Amino acid sequence: MRIGIVSPYGWDSPGGVQVHIRDLARYLIAQGHFVSVLAPVYDENSPVEDFVVPAGKPISIPYNGAVARVLFGPVAASRVRQWITSGNFDLLHIHEPAIPSLGLLACSIAEGAMVGTFHVSAPRIKIAFAIAPFVEPIVEKLNARIAVSEVARETLQIHLETDAVVIPNGINLKSFAGAAPRLEWQLGKTIGFIGRFDEKRKGLSLLLEALPEIVKVHPDIRVLVAGPGDQDDFIKDVDPALAGRITFLGKLNEEEKRQFFKSIELYIAPNTGGESFGIILAEAMATGVAILASDIDAFRSVLEDGKWGALFANSSAQDLAIKANQLLASQSTLDQMAAASPEGGARFDWSVVAEDILDIYEMVREEGQPVTLAADSRIWNRMMKGLGGN
Amino acid sequence: MINEWISIFIFLSAFIWYLTFTASRLDRLHHRVETSWASLDALLQQRAAIAIEIAHLAQADPATSIVLTHSAYLAREAKISERSEAEQALTEAFGYLYEDDLFPVEHSGLSEKLTAVNKKISAAIGIHRESVTATKAQRRRLVVKLFRLAGSAPLPVTYPFEDIAI
Repeated sequence: MRIGIVSPYGWDSPGGVQVHIRDLARYLIAQGHFVSVLAPVYDENSPVEDFVVPAGKPISIPYNGAVARVLFGPVAASRVRQWITSGNFDLLHIHEPAIPSLGLLACSIAEGAMVGTFHVSAPRIKIAFAIAPFVEPIVEKLNARIAVSEVARETLQIHLETDAVVIPNGINLKSFAGAAPRLEWQLGKTIGFIGRFDEKRKGLSLLLEALPEIVKVHPDIRVLVAGPGDQDDFIKDVDPALAGRITFLGKLNEEEKRQFFKSIELYIAPNTGGESFGIILAEAMATGVAILASDIDAFRSVLEDGKWGALFANSSAQDLAIKANQLLASQSTLDQMAAASPEGGARFDWSVVAEDILDIYEMVREEGQPVTLAADSRIWNRMMKGLGGN
Repeated sequence: MINEWISIFIFLSAFIWYLTFTASRLDRLHHRVETSWASLDALLQQRAAIAIEIAHLAQADPATSIVLTHSAYLAREAKISERSEAEQALTEAFGYLYEDDLFPVEHSGLSEKLTAVNKKISAAIGIHRESVTATKAQRRRLVVKLFRLAGSAPLPVTYPFEDIAI
């Protein structure tokens, strides 16, 4: 199958969507499919994989509470047209077709078998309603919609009045197996936190609020905090008696992340909301570690309602302390949970996730025609040419 | 005077453009419903075929075989108005297999095949139901009704079995 994938965000800037597309493209290529990824690329000289077609330099706009590196405009549109015409694709897989970037352009320009994946969850409601009339006729062309989580699906149902099939993000299970702990991180009973800790919704302050109760029962407890953020700013509000127990590791690379999960006794995810999927839990499971997470919707579905890790009542420091103390009291429980969790992570391995995506491709392709420029866009082209000729 | 004619002309052409835009949008939606129904239909046929395969296995319990074959044939031959009931009956027939632990097929690979098809069916149902809902929503619009933009295309319907087939 000839598959064209459109990335909305800059290929050379970090982001979950780009990682997802990269891994998916690699998997599909390994299965013998032809894949071309159209993506904005910030630095023209940066090396990109040979399946990537750069579409131009993205611009940074504030979108949905973060800075997004997106690309649109007439030049980008003509690049998209060119790519579609020369690609002879059997199918287009468009990521984030509702965000003002390449995805939206491709979706409006192309016609034929198209699949869209929605990653984002809960944009601001008023804005979403205001842009819906523009987005609706475009997104409506997709033969099938995929949402990466139930939360993302709900966002779609509410804002665009459309439904989607849920297929989660993928991980490479194999690369997580066999990670080794790091001795300097194994200091007695250790609990771990990972994420941008100065962001309130990531919940580190909730964990610290629960910490005194945990220390009462487990006096030798230590906390490892991984992830970017300003630690001096954070630590000055923390009780000095507790501060001594906390070690900040800074931002970890992929390899260090696995070592981190392997070194700790219990991984705590106290996020209070705003998570669409929770890939970090899938990664923790794949590595093999006991998990305690808040019972927000995204985490409950990743952990299958507590099958692969314990849950505590969201935003309750008290419940967090109680559950953590229970788990930490029994080394055999922790060991059992750690041993069982890779099986839970296997649900998110690319061999499962990408096959589900391929099933959708097959369904959409069966009757759909190959991808061409949309009829109205062809007329537009001809008119422009006609005007130019005169 | 000229100015008025010009503005009337502009307004009219904009309106005509809007009508064609809406009409082609509708046309695309109708086509999508056809496509999504075709792939759902094909998957349901596959499911019926698996039922017959299971019934023909040597180890199968004869009563279950009869129930399975019967409902599979009914589902395959059902007219569109009877389809819902027939597919529902087939789902129930599969249900007996699992309920009473009658699944005779440890090594035939049919159980895995059935699970795979069922998974695809539930995705196909989601996709089909979405395209029907979107089309219906457009068909309800005043401009579509007033100018008969849907032409003679029948209004798509969802069948009850789409909620409970699996």
